[in-house]
Amino acid sequence: MSRATRIPNLGGARAFVLHRPHATGAAILRQLAAIGLDAVDCWPELPAEALGADFVFFDADLGFDEQFPWAPGEAPMPTIALIGSEAPGRIEWALSQKADAQLLKPVGNSGVYSALLIARQSFEERRSLADEIVALRARVAERQTIVRAVTALAAQGATDDRAYAQLRSLAMSWQVSMEEAARRIVAMTDEGDEHSDHA
Amino acid sequence: MCLACLAFPVLAAGLFRFGEQMKRQVEIGVLYSRSGTYPVVSEASRAGVLAAIADVNADPQMPIAFVPVEYDPAGNVDNYATGCADILANSKARHIIGCVTSWSRKEVIPVLEKTGGTLWYASPYEGFEANEHVVYMHACPNQHLVPLLGYVVPKFGANGYLVGSNYIWGWETNRVARDLIADARGDVLGERYLRLGETDVSHMIAEIEATRPSFILNNLIGPSSYAFIKAYAELASRDERFGPEQCPILSCNLTEAELPVIGAFAQGHLSAGPYFRRADAEGTSGMIGSSLAASNYAAVQVLARVLAINPEATFAELPAIFAREQFDTPFGRIAIDPRTQHATVPVEIGRVSGEGFEVVQRTEAVAPDPYLSRYDRTETFGRPRLKVVS
Repeated sequence: MSRATRIPNLGGARAFVLHRPHATGAAILRQLAAIGLDAVDCWPELPAEALGADFVFFDADLGFDEQFPWAPGEAPMPTIALIGSEAPGRIEWALSQKADAQLLKPVGNSGVYSALLIARQSFEERRSLADEIVALRARVAERQTIVRAVTALAAQGATDDRAYAQLRSLAMSWQVSMEEAARRIVAMTDEGDEHSDHA
Repeated sequence: MCLACLAFPVLAAGLFRFGEQMKRQVEIGVLYSRSGTYPVVSEASRAGVLAAIADVNADPQMPIAFVPVEYDPAGNVDNYATGCADILANSKARHIIGCVTSWSRKEVIPVLEKTGGTLWYASPYEGFEANEHVVYMHACPNQHLVPLLGYVVPKFGANGYLVGSNYIWGWETNRVARDLIADARGDVLGERYLRLGETDVSHMIAEIEATRPSFILNNLIGPSSYAFIKAYAELASRDERFGPEQCPILSCNLTEAELPVIGAFAQGHLSAGPYFRRADAEGTSGMIGSSLAASNYAAVQVLARVLAINPEATFAELPAIFAREQFDTPFGRIAIDPRTQHATVPVEIGRVSGEGFEVVQRTEAVAPDPYLSRYDRTETFGRPRLKVVS
């Protein structure tokens, strides 16, 4: 995890601003250029190269799902919603895109820098949480494998507690996770059963 | 007394001797405090403005003559927005030169945005701003702090003790310094702040004595800074490990203007800035006493040139003019970046010597990078040495 304070190196980062030609877009492009980003404005669609962008600003007032080359809420980079109208339907749509930060219109001389930093941190936190959830789900899914491995080891005559401790020490000596060690034991047991079936 | 009464045009008789008939008179705002906690700095800045106005008005080649419209916020940060609004409402001035602290600059920006005015800001500051209503004429961190630490770390070491006045300049400059020190593989051994005007520095001095840093970064201003430099010199007289040859005080805002107030205590310590007075210089640059006077002088020169090109130029016209023009100033011929409206300036590292600074390093024409977007650790501190792991 990076330290809390860090010179935010935004130089050369690429940003797309998805907004119809308007003073708001111009104000954002000016601020982005001053901060040192390469910024491109586009409307009504994000071009394919936006998939490689570091930030995307999008208009919450006139935006719609088909503008984006990704499913709603699955942008692969930090996004910032540009909110003018506070009509509940528009806010609902902006929320469905899971924007990492917001900027209220009209945009003047400031706001873009803090939006960039907030969006980046919030996106990174969201992504690391999502990664952690995937890893935890995988471990939960392996519970059955661990139960089968412990049962197989217990079948050799050990108690359940002892079989579990044995699985842990095997995982340590193989330098793999408990789940991986359990998978190996289950595979060996299955193999043994196959051999005995053929005997 | 009504604050508005403090704003008055100063018409100095005889200023327009040269081509008086041809010169168009243009009012410009001057917003510097003449009392309060940092009068030495603001007086040096104001002197630079008035000297430049006199020179512009005396220049027969220049089609305009400036009439300063002054407002004195008297060192009270709450008076700056009032003063700015007063100048813009009660005179024809659209351009104001002034503000020393970032605090006061941030106070006037909403007024400028509402009224279409422009502030010419001529003090060193902490960066991370690029307002289209402000022209930044002094150094930002890539033009003071980054090169200063790049110079100091190889000579003195990378462990720093950070001090500052309790407002945005100290907080943000020290924040960048923490990152730079980490990049240089050093440690921050302490970080302390004093409220504006506070002069009890004993706690800081005790911590420095106990932690023995490689250098001290001083972001104190005014009397706090003078008291700190004096107390540190007294520590050095007891223990030579705290002399400027072993453990210097570094500043990004110390200029010749404050040396007479500090006296001999600052000898040998280091400062970074776009300009230090040359004892042997001749002509205009020899007359300009500090980078504060120089940047204010430069601001007036640039503004005069801008208004000579387009008499009606306001903030909206500035980027186009900055994109194609260069300007002769005490910093040499400079450009102003049209995207950030920050000046390209030389970077000098000066060591306090006698009544001035001896320049120990100079880099020409350093382009502004107010957001440190182009900061490169390797360029500043070299490649990290690999550690042998057994």
